Amino acid sequence: MRILLVEDDPHTAGFIAKGLKEDGHAVDHADNGKDGLFLATTEPYDAIVLDRMLPQLDGMTLLKTLRGAGNRVPTLLLTALGDVEQRVEGLRAGADDYLVKPFAYAELSARLDGLARRGTAASAEPTRLRVEDLELDLLKRSASRDGKAIELQPREYRLLEYLMRQAGRVVTRTMLLEAVWDYHFDPQTNVIDVHISRLRQKIDHGFAAPLLHTVRGAGYRLGS
Amino acid sequence: MSGRAPVRLMSTSARLALAVTVSFLLAFALLGAGVYYAVSTLLTADAREVVRADAAGLADIHRGAGRAGLIAELRGRLAAPDDPDAVYALVDRDGRAIVGSAPPLSVPRSAAPRWIVFRDGTDGGTRVIARLSPLGDGETLLTGLRTRSQDGFLAMMLRTALIALLVAAALGALIGWLTARWVSRRLQSLDLTAARVGAGELALRARLDGSDDAFDRLAHRFNAMLDRIEDLLGGVRHATDHIAHDLRTPLTRLRNRLDQLREREAPAPELDAAIAETDQLLQSFGALLRLARIEAQPPLRDAPAVDLQALVRDVLELYAPSAAERRIALRDATGPASVRGDADQLFQLLVNLVDNAVKFAPADSEVELALSASGAEVRLEVRDRGPGIPAADRERVLDRFVRLETQRSSPGTGLGLSLVRAIVLRHEGRIELLDAAPGLRVCIALPRA
Repeated sequence: MRILLVEDDPHTAGFIAKGLKEDGHAVDHADNGKDGLFLATTEPYDAIVLDRMLPQLDGMTLLKTLRGAGNRVPTLLLTALGDVEQRVEGLRAGADDYLVKPFAYAELSARLDGLARRGTAASAEPTRLRVEDLELDLLKRSASRDGKAIELQPREYRLLEYLMRQAGRVVTRTMLLEAVWDYHFDPQTNVIDVHISRLRQKIDHGFAAPLLHTVRGAGYRLGS
Repeated sequence: MSGRAPVRLMSTSARLALAVTVSFLLAFALLGAGVYYAVSTLLTADAREVVRADAAGLADIHRGAGRAGLIAELRGRLAAPDDPDAVYALVDRDGRAIVGSAPPLSVPRSAAPRWIVFRDGTDGGTRVIARLSPLGDGETLLTGLRTRSQDGFLAMMLRTALIALLVAAALGALIGWLTARWVSRRLQSLDLTAARVGAGELALRARLDGSDDAFDRLAHRFNAMLDRIEDLLGGVRHATDHIAHDLRTPLTRLRNRLDQLREREAPAPELDAAIAETDQLLQSFGALLRLARIEAQPPLRDAPAVDLQALVRDVLELYAPSAAERRIALRDATGPASVRGDADQLFQLLVNLVDNAVKFAPADSEVELALSASGAEVRLEVRDRGPGIPAADRERVLDRFVRLETQRSSPGTGLGLSLVRAIVLRHEGRIELLDAAPGLRVCIALPRA
């Protein structure tokens, strides 16, 4: 992917750019809002990582200008503050996702992958999701693997649906919390892991090749 | 809480007004009594002077014209009185009246004249001041004066004074009431401001009216004090935020480096442990920042109603797998209940409580969540069958970073219950930790939506 990074702090910018390059992306970096807006409007990007606080032109204004001009490039907004109001404000301005500093690189990487996918696959809503021999029928709200039906609780169904929509990509615990549980909260212990291991029991138990993988230090991934 | 204080304030100034009115009336009554006494003494002395002169004239007639002349004079005066209030009588040694009428007199044996006061039976009981003058042959001359005009004057004075007293009392009560209302209104605005600031609305200030009177100056000083408190609090919060934030950034950097290291090297348990420790630290800082932010937020009043029962059920569902792993039954004893507030924060509150309960409950036991609405309150109760918290520590565990010796081995930041309390306070509720014998009972009361 070709990614535009607009971030004024050289340290943060360096570590994000290094990680993205290691993941095989092409990265352009702007260290102020004006240059960022210029690049965003003149070059075709697959995604933008945008800091909220920038010299010359702040991130929110940049984003509004971009969206006002009809540019729909998936944008991940970075901010130092994590208030709900700020997040809502950012999403309203046209951001596709929101990440609070400081964050682990794995979180940024996973979210960017999710964004880029959303950008391309949003055209036709499928009625059926498939990952190898695991199938999810979105109309009947039922799951099966290798033809055998899998009984799912409503929350497990939502969990599996999200994982299947993000198949092949790393999904962090925070992303799961936000997508599957509708609350913004800090899970005290490993509640999410327990839900995942329950789901894993249901979809992987009795099959030679496991589908639901734990990605150490990051989260989970469904499929290879 | 804020509804009760102004009432007490009102009664304080009302009591003050009443006390002032009563002491004013008392002083007025005392003064009135003094004047009444002085005037009536003066009037009596005047009357005696008139009687004394009259008696002296009659004594002259007795000396000059003898007993018969005196009797003729008395008869003449009684038949055609110059003064209708004059009273005369001649009494023999046995107390019988020879001329005129006299009250039953104890027979005067002494030779000196003396004063008596009696009520004139013939005329509805008018007071008579009389002088008894012994005539030397056992007979006594009574010269008196009906004090009709003096009594009338005194009665009128008393009536006037009473009316004045009543008017003064009414006026005093009215002025007292108005003053009390004014004072209490001035104080009430200050009192209400103090209560709301105490509840967390730190930006609120008392209203100044620019009159520069004592109340206005008090409000002014009060505001200056609040400015100072806000400055100090802001400084502390700023420092905490900065410490947590500034430490979080290098810590995240450290974690990212460890991550990179892990990807390159062969798996090392020490590395995993180091990453887990870093995550734990990051979680603590995150919780501290969240706590600081919630404590700084003003209380929620006009927030939308949140279905607390639905929240409880979602939390129970979230924890069902974790609880089932340890064969802990989560019992749902909820009834419908709504509160006004922040759904995310209320969910966090429930998560922290249920997380604790499941963590400390022994295997094969039960954790119960009860929810009920009664009157103006919603009561939430989380009960486990774990070791509980000793009575001496129950208040303490709500403070930041307090962890009991028995919990040292279990994971946690020591901020979970602090966060719960901050959220409860922001929703203007109360929290209480009780003994469930065995186990812990956390009771939370929130205002009903």
